[in-house]
Amino acid sequence: MRQTWPLPGGIHPPENKSQSLQRPIAQPPLPPCLVLPLNQHIGTPSVPRVCVGETVLKGQVVADAEGMISAALHAPTSGVIKAIETRPIAHPSGGEDVCIVLESDGEERWIELAARPDYADLAPAEVLALIARAGITGMGGAGFPSATKLQPRHAIDTLIINAAECEPYITADDVLMRERAPGISVGIDILAHVLGQPETILIGIEDNKPEAASALRDALDGSRADLVEIPTRYPSGGEKQLIQILTGKEVPSGGLPADIGIVCQNVGTTHAVFEAVCKGTPLISRITTVTGGACAHAGNFEVLIGTPVEHLLQAAGYDQGICQRLIMGGPMMGFTLADTDVPVVKSTNCLLAADAKESPQNNIPQACIRCGLCAEACPANLLPQQLYWYARARDYDKLAAHNLNDCIECGACAYVCPSEIPLVQYYRAAKGEIRVMQQEKIFSDHARIRFEFHKDRMEKAEREKAAKREQRKKAAEVARSTVGNSQPAPDGTTATDEDSDVVRAALARVQANKSSTEAQLRKLERNLEALDTQLNNAQSRLTEIPESDTGPHGKAAAAIEQIRVKRARVAGELEALKNQAPETPTDTGANAEPAGQDQRAVDKAAEAIARAQQRMAEQQSMSPDDKRRHQRERLEKRLVKARQRLAQAQTDGDENLGAYADAVASLEQKLTALQNTETTAEAIASSGTDTGER
Amino acid sequence: MTDISYREITRNGLWDNNPALVQLLGLCPLLAVTASVVNALGLGLATLAVLVGSNAVVSLIRHRVTNAVRIPAFVMIIATFTTCTELLMKAYTYELYQILGIFIPLIVTNCTILGRAEAFASKHSLAPAIADGALMGLGFAAVLLMLGAIREAVGSGTLFAHMDLIFGPAAANWKIELFAPGYSFLVFVLPPGAFLVTGLLIAGKNAIDARIKRRRDALKTRPVKGAKRVRTTGVIQ
Amino acid sequence: MPLALITSPHQHAAQTTQRVMQHLLLATVPGLVALTWHFGWGTLINVALASITALGCEAAVVVLRRRPVGFYLRDCSALVTAVLLGLALPPLAPWWIPVVGSAFAIVIAKHLYGGLGYNPFNPAMVGYVVLLISFPVEMTRWLAPASILPDGASLPDLQASLQLVFPLLGNTPIDAFTMATPLDTFKHSQGLLVEQVLAENVWFTQGTWSGAGWEWVNLGFLAGGCYLLLQRVFTWHAPVAMLAGLSLMALLNYDAGSSTSGGPLDLHLLSGATMLGAFFIVTDPVTSAVSHLGRLIYGALVGVLIYIIRIWGNYPDAVAFAVLLMNFAAPFIDYYTLPRTYGHEKRGRATKMKD
Repeated sequence: MRQTWPLPGGIHPPENKSQSLQRPIAQPPLPPCLVLPLNQHIGTPSVPRVCVGETVLKGQVVADAEGMISAALHAPTSGVIKAIETRPIAHPSGGEDVCIVLESDGEERWIELAARPDYADLAPAEVLALIARAGITGMGGAGFPSATKLQPRHAIDTLIINAAECEPYITADDVLMRERAPGISVGIDILAHVLGQPETILIGIEDNKPEAASALRDALDGSRADLVEIPTRYPSGGEKQLIQILTGKEVPSGGLPADIGIVCQNVGTTHAVFEAVCKGTPLISRITTVTGGACAHAGNFEVLIGTPVEHLLQAAGYDQGICQRLIMGGPMMGFTLADTDVPVVKSTNCLLAADAKESPQNNIPQACIRCGLCAEACPANLLPQQLYWYARARDYDKLAAHNLNDCIECGACAYVCPSEIPLVQYYRAAKGEIRVMQQEKIFSDHARIRFEFHKDRMEKAEREKAAKREQRKKAAEVARSTVGNSQPAPDGTTATDEDSDVVRAALARVQANKSSTEAQLRKLERNLEALDTQLNNAQSRLTEIPESDTGPHGKAAAAIEQIRVKRARVAGELEALKNQAPETPTDTGANAEPAGQDQRAVDKAAEAIARAQQRMAEQQSMSPDDKRRHQRERLEKRLVKARQRLAQAQTDGDENLGAYADAVASLEQKLTALQNTETTAEAIASSGTDTGER
Repeated sequence: MTDISYREITRNGLWDNNPALVQLLGLCPLLAVTASVVNALGLGLATLAVLVGSNAVVSLIRHRVTNAVRIPAFVMIIATFTTCTELLMKAYTYELYQILGIFIPLIVTNCTILGRAEAFASKHSLAPAIADGALMGLGFAAVLLMLGAIREAVGSGTLFAHMDLIFGPAAANWKIELFAPGYSFLVFVLPPGAFLVTGLLIAGKNAIDARIKRRRDALKTRPVKGAKRVRTTGVIQ
Repeated sequence: MPLALITSPHQHAAQTTQRVMQHLLLATVPGLVALTWHFGWGTLINVALASITALGCEAAVVVLRRRPVGFYLRDCSALVTAVLLGLALPPLAPWWIPVVGSAFAIVIAKHLYGGLGYNPFNPAMVGYVVLLISFPVEMTRWLAPASILPDGASLPDLQASLQLVFPLLGNTPIDAFTMATPLDTFKHSQGLLVEQVLAENVWFTQGTWSGAGWEWVNLGFLAGGCYLLLQRVFTWHAPVAMLAGLSLMALLNYDAGSSTSGGPLDLHLLSGATMLGAFFIVTDPVTSAVSHLGRLIYGALVGVLIYIIRIWGNYPDAVAFAVLLMNFAAPFIDYYTLPRTYGHEKRGRATKMKD
């Protein structure tokens, strides 16, 4: 008798398993419509491979695994893909998710299967590929993709097969072992082969399943797997707890069993592995227990994945009138369903239709008296009463110190609580809040880093600008002092020096512009080429999308239109540029042109300066009346021009009409204001000779 | 500083910012010497005198004192007034002085006095500072009196016993016997009872404040913000 | 029928808080019977008065807090507090003793802290201590058991008891049958050897192991405690640790019965409120430590403190003070005695230190 270690804590609820063990595994009738959620497993949802309207065969891949932790999805029966849309799924939130809806044609036509009963001759990696292709995930309730689990980073020395099935009411694994034990034995062998033949192979089964144990013992005759019977206690079937019971080792907090060299697989998963490798059938059906007081014929069914719960319940004689709670999963860890139009998924091990007797009264919880019964029952040695107090107080530091993350949410604490406090819900809510806080912290850390980087960049830019300004000022001073000790006269000789600076800057800009014209030409030509290739690609992609798929088709067509518009614009720019600049300037011409342009720029600058100086002189010598008159004349000229532009805009139908009108209006306003001041000034002046005294 | 109204000073000192029930300052003498009305009254008056005096002087010298030494300066002033009060009590009410014992010099450590000097007197002129000191001291003395009365009544069954220690021999017959002689409910005379009664007083004050606030909110008219439409779509089973 | 949407688990064990309290009440019956047999009707009257006051005060406070009265009274916790207080008080104490103590216990020690589950101090012990320091005379007036009374004298019958408790109903002197408790006797017999005290004192000549009458009371509470252990109302850690701590101190200090020794072991274990304290007070889950190791430390320290106060303190019996002191220390014990969680190498501290 192999040594087992005791489970700390744990409870012994009434088993209620006999109701569903009266009959052998039954097959419910083929449902007319199957709904396959894309996310039936832990990890990334699968990506659909089929499209709407496609005919599929039984066992054909309909969705591929995406990423490291994902699984493939197969059609459970032959038929036509009716839709790929959001449908209600079985989840505690009662929400919806993207599903592939398959309409069965009743013919059950199989795809060609690639069976490899000679798995022992294959390399472990090849066998693993077969398992991955079959889309197998954990069937004990969690749904972790098995191919990823069987690829651990450490060497494995112990393989544990979980046949405990500790939760009340569920008998799916029990009947599987009773009826299909030889397949399980081969499955164990396959798993051992994939894992590189670990030293120890253990099968943990509770001692309330004697028939299953003997069937399994007969099937394992000759195999080196050890069948170990463990005392019946909930939750000894939890992965961490079973490892502790069978090996005495504990999975480190936050780690995986693989870290201590152990891999644990459910017995249903093992059987699915056998079917996948030796018969080539992918995971398209599973054994589900349908039980509870509201089911007339409780029992186990071999259900196709995607079967609506309604259909399955009908096969078990469901009476909606007396069902008070419909639970997917067991009574300790399952969640309630609000409606029966959700599909069965790969991890549905039980449907419990509880009547009034089986549903506990939902009483108002009383105060926690810290009796400690929950701490007695906790299999992870936590202090649930303290976790409850701190979850209520939202004291996340203390929750972390009391190891909230090690809670496996088995529900043993809430089962024993005399005050009927829903303890597990508090922990779930607290874990959710902690997760949200961690997400927000990541965002805010990211935002802080970006802000600090931005601040640094701005400061650096500021510093560089200041340095440049300093440089320019120094250069100007040097230039001024070297040009000569010319006195700054009011008529503008200094203007010449500044003028020469300005001129030099203008020269440099013109040069850059000239050369960049060629650069611009080249750039535009490159742009044109790129746009051409883009257009070709988009058009070829368009032909791939069928016309019927209106959404993507329309989008692609619109994209092509955009690219065409861009291309036309770039071509236009190119033409304009080519026409503007001389095609191939000659050497002499190149030198002469810039010089001529320089001269023109210099002349223009000098003229402008002279004009401005003249205006300034005039202004200084003008009286206030003259100034006003001068201002008024200038305003009137501007107003005339603005009115002209407005008329032009009206005839053109320009979209900036409003702006032109506003400009005219503001000028008119200024003019009237000026006129008012003029009239008042005149009035004052003409109201007597005592203006000066006033 | 901005001008503070005397009405606000009064309301703060007596109710909203009462040193004993709201700021919870000076709890040491509060809990130790309020076993009877005469003790409470004696200490309350002494604290009031020191508070008014120290506030006045601190306010007068507030512009001269540098920031670095202001706390020691204030404590010196408070200690001076405390010593004066102690000597006065030693001269005129010797038995009470002996009963109160160490709690008279401990008025120096009463955080109310240093707190008001720091928070108010050093930032306001003379008249408001004196008013604040007087009203804070009155608030404190009122709480002391109430505490003393309750503790004496429930703990010893009397009221106004031994008032002659303050008011002279004529006050000896002010004593009222509430219960049969020999009655004693010792826990209220001992410090645990002081904590209990103080806690109940604070609770009472908070209850009164809550009721006032409730009444005021009920009188406030709330603007009508338009009708709310109710969705009635959905499956009803 | 619409389907209920409720969180897991969907099954529940049969134990409720009310059932736990009822077990506790049932377990006090043997001790109560022993008290009534040996000391007359006084204890029953105390228990009755305390219970009525407790239920009334709890109802009043719950109404003040605007909550449903039935829901809160139905969990029997006020009743348990009152019964424990009534058992601890001297029989034939005036009626206002249990009333005032019970009111203090329920209103101040329990509801002012938040109600059931929120109080840091054991309410019954708070009530007892308030009474003890407020009315030292009435609280130290214990009776002589029936077996010790001189011939011809007997304990007052029900009517006389009621007259003693409610003085308005009539006046009877009580001194005829008061006597110091065995612990008190021992405490005040300085200078005598243990065997002398045992030989001369009528408590011990009449009693089988220690203190006539009192030993049966303690044995009754011990029986009740064993019943509770069998019913798994609490674990063995706290009571066994307390008795072990007390026994260890008593054995260490018992220097072969000299005049300065603290008294024999069975005196300490079977006298005073030791067994009541061990199985009904120390095991109060709301105010004790939380983990198994924590409860061991808590119980042991209670036992040690009881002995220290009994021998070197001012009071002959010290269960109430020891328990209140350790209630104060319970969170501190919890900080250091978190159990080691699955997957961790050692026990953590109750507050995560930020690094």
